[in-house]
Amino acid sequence: MFKFPENLYSDVRIEDVYETKIVYKLGEVEEARTRKYKGAFIRVFDGQRWYYSSTSNIANIQNELETLASYATLDEKIMENPIVKKFQVHKEKLIKFEKDSVEKIEEDEKHELLKNFFPILKESKFMTNWTATYVDRKVVKSFYSSKGSEIVFDTQTAGFSIYLYFSHGEKKFSEGFQKAYNSFYKLHGKEEELKSFIKKCEEFLLNSKPIEAGQYTVILSPLAAGIFAHESFGHKSESDFMLGNEAMKKEWTVGKKVGSDILSIVDDGNIEGTGYTPFDDEGTKAEKTYLIKKGILSGRLHNATTAYHLNEDLTGNARAVNFEFEPIVRMTTTFIEAGSKTKEELFSEVEDGVYIEGVKHGSGMSTFTIAPSVAYRIRDGKIAEPVNISVVTGNVMETLKEIDGLSNEVELLSSVLGGCGKMEQWPLPVGFGGPYVRVKKLNVY
Amino acid sequence: MVKEKYINKVREISINVVKTQVESIRRKDIEKTGLRIYKDGYIGCSGAIGKYDEAELEKKAMGSLKNKISYAYEPEGNLTIKEDFSQKIIKEEELLNEFEELLSILRKEQPNFDFYNKLNLLEQEARLFNNKGLDLYYKDKYISLELIFKEKSSIHIMDGLVGFMGRKYDKDLVLRDINRVCNAFLNKVELPNKKRMPVVFDSYERLPFMKLLQELNGNNFGSNSSLLSDKMGKKVFNDNFTLYQTNNPEYWPLPFFDAEGVVNKNYRYDLIEKGIIVSPYTDKRTAHKYNLPLTGSAKAEYDGVPTLGEPMLQIEESKKTAKELLGGEMGIYVAIAFGGDFTPEGKFSTPVQLAFLFDGENFIGKLPELNISSNLFDMFGNSFIGVSKDFVSPLSKSRYLIIEMEVSKL
Repeated sequence: MFKFPENLYSDVRIEDVYETKIVYKLGEVEEARTRKYKGAFIRVFDGQRWYYSSTSNIANIQNELETLASYATLDEKIMENPIVKKFQVHKEKLIKFEKDSVEKIEEDEKHELLKNFFPILKESKFMTNWTATYVDRKVVKSFYSSKGSEIVFDTQTAGFSIYLYFSHGEKKFSEGFQKAYNSFYKLHGKEEELKSFIKKCEEFLLNSKPIEAGQYTVILSPLAAGIFAHESFGHKSESDFMLGNEAMKKEWTVGKKVGSDILSIVDDGNIEGTGYTPFDDEGTKAEKTYLIKKGILSGRLHNATTAYHLNEDLTGNARAVNFEFEPIVRMTTTFIEAGSKTKEELFSEVEDGVYIEGVKHGSGMSTFTIAPSVAYRIRDGKIAEPVNISVVTGNVMETLKEIDGLSNEVELLSSVLGGCGKMEQWPLPVGFGGPYVRVKKLNVY
Repeated sequence: MVKEKYINKVREISINVVKTQVESIRRKDIEKTGLRIYKDGYIGCSGAIGKYDEAELEKKAMGSLKNKISYAYEPEGNLTIKEDFSQKIIKEEELLNEFEELLSILRKEQPNFDFYNKLNLLEQEARLFNNKGLDLYYKDKYISLELIFKEKSSIHIMDGLVGFMGRKYDKDLVLRDINRVCNAFLNKVELPNKKRMPVVFDSYERLPFMKLLQELNGNNFGSNSSLLSDKMGKKVFNDNFTLYQTNNPEYWPLPFFDAEGVVNKNYRYDLIEKGIIVSPYTDKRTAHKYNLPLTGSAKAEYDGVPTLGEPMLQIEESKKTAKELLGGEMGIYVAIAFGGDFTPEGKFSTPVQLAFLFDGENFIGKLPELNISSNLFDMFGNSFIGVSKDFVSPLSKSRYLIIEMEVSKL
């Protein structure tokens, strides 16, 4: 397909993208667009440096390859370079979403999906404003490399977000109701769930009080647990942070005890949802990677460069947010595995604590954060009054050892409008989730 | 029928650094074009990345009128402004050598640290024009350096960030800024035994503004969803607190016009004057819907309908330096604070992952991780100390924002 420059490694990633975005505010349509475009990212490697180009002119890819090659230093033994040797070679076409393609669904049907919720939104006497957004995105990716890879595969997400604002005198509250799947049709039939959600929001508006800052036993919902896993340990498992850092390599030796015995965290690009990545942007097949297995550090996430430098296997985690960027080490679907307790057992064992149900955002360095949107006190083993919390924090390594209970069912979630951010690349679609997770001690503010 | 076109061009050279060595060089040249048709009170949009067929673009924009997206406001017209902020920063062909030299010096001057991430040289152009005589053009060129640093003995994914964004590149000044931070990082100091202290932010840091951005959003404000909804014209904050939205490219590399072509006088619009709420930020739709002043805060994707977006907020600077504002006290300079937020009633709290003890001019040393907390109405009310007249660095336009807050160890 392309004439790859000799004595260099090179690859080409072409993205053929279809997107829809529809926005209604208080019942009035404010945005309704579909977008179709193609873009390409071209990489050339001479064994010392990478040379990249991003272009929206697909017809010009061959020229871009040649231009990048002119910056590089030719190396007759480039195929023996250990990083180049790491690259997998696949010839495969994996098209999963042709039949269910969001591109084939009439725009009116997408509008109707949102409009079905409108009567429900008018029922609340406390709701002062709302925005309903539908988005979908289908990408057909083609990947070709000078080692011989020829891969074509597709990914797809469809989702909606209804952001609600409530007011009662001086008290204000806002929260989002969101769903996303790989198929448009799975978005139907969420009306009853929305009604319950609104009722819960109204109760929160009327009854929530500021929490007294302090240390509490905290139970995280599957959403909060997923964000915790992603932020607290997922980012630490991205091996590009480890390149050339001997202290970090020593500290993060596989086999080291890093969490409680019941804790296992997994990253897996094979799972359907927004983190679905059957091949990464270097043409590597997705793997199920245990980051922590039963409390023991078991693996980390790689691109070819980090896998070579750390002498480990590829994991399929080289991902770019879109055709304008190079792939870097990113998560796919990251989650905590289930434990053995029922949800009821988990709560019943907490005399005095906090339950975090909804989350605005999280972050993860040595100290991780979760900013809850909806949280409750736990009293005598039961969910009690709603509380307003600005942030929950803890030291990652201490907190992983403080996990003392997991419920027995995992819920996996997909992001709708947001995603993961890493330096300049945001928002990357990822999946996340877990069971209900109990942490003995966290700082709550 | 009004036909309006929006063109956005970005050219970029991006150099990636791994362990204080150049790892890759990326070139980007992307042009995005949007076409808007205003007809019979409705708006239709289309767009293209890269090359496009003009007739196709127009056909698609006309076709999208079927979505009946109302736009009962007069598009801007009869205004031509061209602003070219691009200037010679550094020759593209010299950029790599220059940056390699900087890295080479860093390896010698900061042997305890490894540096990672990007240096970007960007050129951007934006043009909005229509058949009503509107023609707004903005061109810029700037350099953006954002380096993560890690102590070589560190087991963390990062220890800190250094860098700048501006239209000037001076290697000595860059090195001075990096050395200022890294040298302070190596000097560990204790957190003073005080419950409240002056906390110092870079005035471009978004975290202190998060709640204001939510509460001053015209949709929230107008629909009684904001804590400030019933406070228009009322004094809520400190006498010395004047907050304005700015599109002034002098301070930030952004077009001087909003997505609807609204150009404010001096590229600013005051939202809070001397503590009094003057207006939330609005686009045409929001201003019309809730009978609010139009502040020119529309954003749009290149192929999308203009809608209310978050503006760049700035606090009017005082006539005092940071040192004078601190009045002889030590402050806590917030270098990295990830993950904090406000509760619905305005309570604020955040961990500070990297902080320095600061005397108003120098970073004295690195503080242990800590927590800061306050409340929206205190932060910009009684606890507001001010924004300095001096800049954080000669390479950028950010200043010191100083607020007294509760401080505790994590």
